[in-house]
Amino acid sequence: MSTTAPHRPFERTELSAEAAALVTGPAEHPLHPDHTPTGQLSFGAFFQGVNSSTIWRLPESGDQVAWESFEALVATAERGKFAAFFLGEGLRLREHRGVPFELDVAGRPDAQTLLAALAAVTEHIGLVATQNTTYNDPVDLARRLQTLDLLSGGRAGWNVVTTDNAWTGENFRRGGYLDHEDRYVHAEAFVQIAEQFWRGEQIEHEGAHYSVRAQGDLPRSAQGRPVLFQAGASPTGQDFAARTADVIFSPHGALAAAVDFRRSIVERTVAAGRDPGSVKILPGAEVVLAATEQEADEKVRWVRDLQIGPEQAIALLEQYWGRDLSSFDPEGPLPDVEPEVAESGVTRGAGFQFAKAQELTRAWREEAAEKGQSILEFARVQAGSRRGTFTGSYDAVAERLAEFARLGAIDGLNITPWLIPSGLDDIVDHLIPRLQERGVYPTEYAGSTLRENLGLPAL
Amino acid sequence: MTTTALDLGAQSAGVPLQRSDLPVLAVDLISDPSVLERIGQLAQDLERSGVGALTLSDGGLHPIHVASYLAPLTRTIALLPRTDAVYVEPFHLATQLMSLDHLSHGRAGWLLTAETDPAVPASVGRAALGPEDTAREAADVLEAARLIWDSWAQDAVVRDAARGVYVDAARLQYADFEGETFSVRGPAITPRSPQGLLPVLVTDVDRAAVGERVATELADGRVLDLDVSTGARPGAVADTVRQALTETTGPVVCLVRLVGLDLDADPLGTVAELTATLREQGLIAAAPSAEQSLRDQLSLPTAARTADPARRSDRGRLTSEDHA
Ligand SMILES: Cc1cc2nc3c(=O)[nH]c(=O)nc-3n(C[C@H](O)[C@H](O)[C@H](O)COP(=O)(O)O)c2cc1C
Repeated sequence: MSTTAPHRPFERTELSAEAAALVTGPAEHPLHPDHTPTGQLSFGAFFQGVNSSTIWRLPESGDQVAWESFEALVATAERGKFAAFFLGEGLRLREHRGVPFELDVAGRPDAQTLLAALAAVTEHIGLVATQNTTYNDPVDLARRLQTLDLLSGGRAGWNVVTTDNAWTGENFRRGGYLDHEDRYVHAEAFVQIAEQFWRGEQIEHEGAHYSVRAQGDLPRSAQGRPVLFQAGASPTGQDFAARTADVIFSPHGALAAAVDFRRSIVERTVAAGRDPGSVKILPGAEVVLAATEQEADEKVRWVRDLQIGPEQAIALLEQYWGRDLSSFDPEGPLPDVEPEVAESGVTRGAGFQFAKAQELTRAWREEAAEKGQSILEFARVQAGSRRGTFTGSYDAVAERLAEFARLGAIDGLNITPWLIPSGLDDIVDHLIPRLQERGVYPTEYAGSTLRENLGLPAL
Repeated sequence: MTTTALDLGAQSAGVPLQRSDLPVLAVDLISDPSVLERIGQLAQDLERSGVGALTLSDGGLHPIHVASYLAPLTRTIALLPRTDAVYVEPFHLATQLMSLDHLSHGRAGWLLTAETDPAVPASVGRAALGPEDTAREAADVLEAARLIWDSWAQDAVVRDAARGVYVDAARLQYADFEGETFSVRGPAITPRSPQGLLPVLVTDVDRAAVGERVATELADGRVLDLDVSTGARPGAVADTVRQALTETTGPVVCLVRLVGLDLDADPLGTVAELTATLREQGLIAAAPSAEQSLRDQLSLPTAARTADPARRSDRGRLTSEDHA
């Protein structure tokens, strides 16, 4: 809650120069007068299942669908007192130039079906399913989520996403029925129906997109209802989160961006009439750790080389150029040809919008030429081959995270392991003990429900 | 099947059964929130007493997720949610069922029903369908589900580090299903499951609603229901099963399912007694072993993938190369 004192007030002199420059108030309200840091972090483990960051080429790269992979990953997360195990979702197999994309890990089990099984072999960790509002029926989804919440003793969460493209819609009855502008209007009505169902109410909804009649008929779960996560960063998405979400899965991990985002969410939460302490922010993060800073630098490069091979580098550029670039040498300069589309889409199914292709490709060409980068080097830098916010030595990353916690810039991280299933091992073995020593990470689970373990106020 | 059991069957009823693929004994559990506390233990106990399959009927909690919850708690028993094929998104349903198959290492099946309660279409904003449309929709959804299950070859994930290829698009195919009321593009977002095609069965109580085409042409077999809610007389139960097994017309009985088991009146004792009698008389298959898939238990052949050149997922590439 925003009224509780920070776990450990900080002295200004303790802050890094970067942090000190961002602080605008006393230790009780360092970032915003309406926000009080809890000084605590919660971790989520984000199994994306489809992405370019999971390394599949190593001998220790495990099966992406096998039950044993999930069981092992979740056991490690629970050993590390992670608040949540989090599954991504994409309702159509990604395609690249009209063909299923071949170069990245792809193919994953249905989120809730998998999480219901994990509920049977775990005791404390939250189980969060990313589920789309555009291509589901609210009562059906609400029943599934409530089933998971009851099976797990109050550990279910729902990451509400709004992917609306008609291309994904080809897998569903309604097809591409929803205008992009309407995605959150629709999502809000959807969540309201789900909440009515969870409260056991009679539902009689006549709206622009649905007419639904149903009766909530399941008992209340130990945490009241599934915890609502939201992952959509547009201003409309932020307002939606401020009105409805318990947790925001944000894309802003770098300190200055995280601070801006916190302020934006605090403003919007207050405007929505809610306590700013009741909306937690967990940015998605890739964590690369080693004993020393130098080793960590080397490890980041090694990880990036394995994530992005020559084929992926060409494919990355093809997404923006919109044409076949396979005749270009990955070790050579960026293609000196114009893109074929004025407005490009990324590899379909990623769901993100990017700037105009022509402008972007021209800027990239200039940038790479200036730095003397090949296609491959450029692609790896694009993916962040320099040290990121959460890469470094165990001590340095722990110290940085402790600072994030004291400022209240974030409430934790949603960590994407780059190796399955061993990718959380060094975080649990080396980073978490250091965070616990610094008093910013729990040494035991606070309770038995996901709400409790995220430090959310009871419903 | 042992000779002894067959002999006993012959002795007790005088009708020697020649079937090598005897039906599997199943017990139906209702996904009622009030049984949550004990359902894991119950599933384990039933597995230990040699029951071959559990069916999960809808009692509020979603039967597919209850089945998946039971998967890691059990090792040999098959898990078949009984769930609607009409007022659903076929793509989601197919994905959920094949995911259950992954989690259970090939122990999943589907008891296909066609919903007739008008509250269900109202809950998803659809109009209730009449009997003919209901049957057609159930058939379409089943066909679409099978195309989705079949859309990845077993070896589609190639992990070819030399070429940088994780999944080979030439080993994927679109579902490209066009039904009366919906279409599904595919391919699946989940790799092929251990059984490939999950066994799809229809219970006697659902036969009328799903229609003859699904029940007799499309489904893999029939589920014989034995109501044990008022107690069970093993002799009478055995007679009913023997009668059904000797029928020469209609779909083959794949499961013999005990429904209405009273969970408060020694359910394990009741099941043990019936199991013993049915096994002695050679009327049900032996208890499954750990390596057996549900298809194995049901003596269904391995589901080979139907590769359809017209559905190839790399057709976009083939076309563009041909044009180049
Ligand atoms: C960190 C993050 C993770 C996301 N993960 C998923 C996902 O797994 N599946 C999905 O369909 N959309 C995902 N999204 C997409 C969003 O839910 C949302 O639909 C999209 O960002 C458009 O909303 P916006 O315009 O508010 O950003 C993610 C977005 C963010 C920021």
